[in-house]
Amino acid sequence: MALEPEMILIVGYVVIGGLLASLGAHLLPVGGAPAAMGTATGVATGTVQLMFGAVMTGLFTSSTVSSFSNNIWLVAISGAVGAAIMITVVMFMANIMYVFGCGIVPVSGRVAVDPITKEPQTPYKTPQTDGHGVPNVVFISGTMGGFVGGFGGGLMYFALLFYANFTYVTAAIAALSIFLANAILAAYNIRGTTEGLYDPKFKRLPKALVSSLAISVLAGIVVLLATIGLPQGGI
Amino acid sequence: MTVTPAVVEEEEVTAPKKGLSFKFPFAETELGLIAGILAAIITIFTGLPAVIKAVGMLLAFVWGADSVRKTSKYGLGTGVPSIGVLGIGYGVIGALMGLAFARYGSVEGIFYPAVLIGVLFMGGIGLVSGYFSNNEKFIAMKIPRLERAMMELGMAGTLVILLQFSIVTGSLRFDAVVDQVMDTGVIAFMFILSCMGMFHPYNACLGPDERRERTLMLSLEISGLISIILGFAMIVLGTSPFGLWDPIALIVFGVIVWVVFYRRFIKACMKECYATVGTGLIKTIG
Repeated sequence: MALEPEMILIVGYVVIGGLLASLGAHLLPVGGAPAAMGTATGVATGTVQLMFGAVMTGLFTSSTVSSFSNNIWLVAISGAVGAAIMITVVMFMANIMYVFGCGIVPVSGRVAVDPITKEPQTPYKTPQTDGHGVPNVVFISGTMGGFVGGFGGGLMYFALLFYANFTYVTAAIAALSIFLANAILAAYNIRGTTEGLYDPKFKRLPKALVSSLAISVLAGIVVLLATIGLPQGGI
Repeated sequence: MTVTPAVVEEEEVTAPKKGLSFKFPFAETELGLIAGILAAIITIFTGLPAVIKAVGMLLAFVWGADSVRKTSKYGLGTGVPSIGVLGIGYGVIGALMGLAFARYGSVEGIFYPAVLIGVLFMGGIGLVSGYFSNNEKFIAMKIPRLERAMMELGMAGTLVILLQFSIVTGSLRFDAVVDQVMDTGVIAFMFILSCMGMFHPYNACLGPDERRERTLMLSLEISGLISIILGFAMIVLGTSPFGLWDPIALIVFGVIVWVVFYRRFIKACMKECYATVGTGLIKTIG
């Protein structure tokens, strides 16, 4: 296929999607192994698993919408809503298990007073832990993370589906792969646990964004070359 | 007051054990070179029977799992699975790119040298991501030789995915792969099982007494399981150019690899651990 001007948009959208993936991963409440014991805030798993589950759901909703609409905003926002719903359900179920299973109060370890609801946090925190469960401030940050990440995933999916002319499944799996590469670089930047927006680790975001930019540009070029290399008319 | 003498039994524990330990003959670099070159050769000749492609896949898995092992032993901070998923994520992008260029210089159904463009590109992207992850100005993970390990992971991941496409479709044409692997949904379990094959060995075996041979045995075992599932996928899709014996041979190969390395792994674990306490369910195998 010859190079057409709109194909440059593939690289553009993949880069925007990659940057949003990195930002979304930084906003998630990641607890890791300490959260499994209830001694850190967040959901007891890694960044990659949380982002993988969220964006997978986002791509399902995106691909459903893209089967009857080719409006970029509709496709991307449906991805964002799908991912946000998934991450919200995960955080809610984690909270139910922490509260009714372990008998601990969701409390943030990084802020003394909840910046949004003004609820005191420190008095409820068990000494020598980093907080427990998913408190309100972290819940809001995680929902934002799911929304932003799902939006990025939907944007990438849209570019691969309508500009690179991949089929639905191929576009989804390629978008998922590029998204994961960016989310994992963000996870390496976070290192272990984070509480999202109010965590000091959030200040490291620019470093991950630079790395993510480089990887996304290269991945976008790879997809662009693949589109050019395909037989005439696309697949 | 009498002083208890040092326990004599400990000396016996440290004595080298014979028999069950499975010695892997190659060092990390040699394994990478041999597995990479053999897997690349098997990838470009798509006219081969599925069993030989499965051998190539097995080598690529061992290479990938070895790369994961040498990176993760320094501690990634996010768990071992992340780097295995990274390798397969790169692998899918690289495989799509390789497939797009596959028709250049190809002999239909037999020989597709241009797919290796995807492998080389993913090596490059892996190198760049390794540089950004390791550099002090950026993510600063400070893991020795992370650049090389990420490059190897990208290449091994691409080879694994390409070989699985090649096994299931019998060729490396983009439209055949899209019809038979992507749109049928085979890619979903291919993706997640390949991730397992990369990260599970080290994730399951990590610890102070981890041994390279034992870890890589687990990678071989997972390759056997993947071969069985791919064989069933081939039977259901009916895509083999050699008829029905090709998938059946693949399933038999997978079962043999799985049984042999599962037994070896369990035996090695039983032999090398201090004591086993359990229900006895698995112990009966050893």
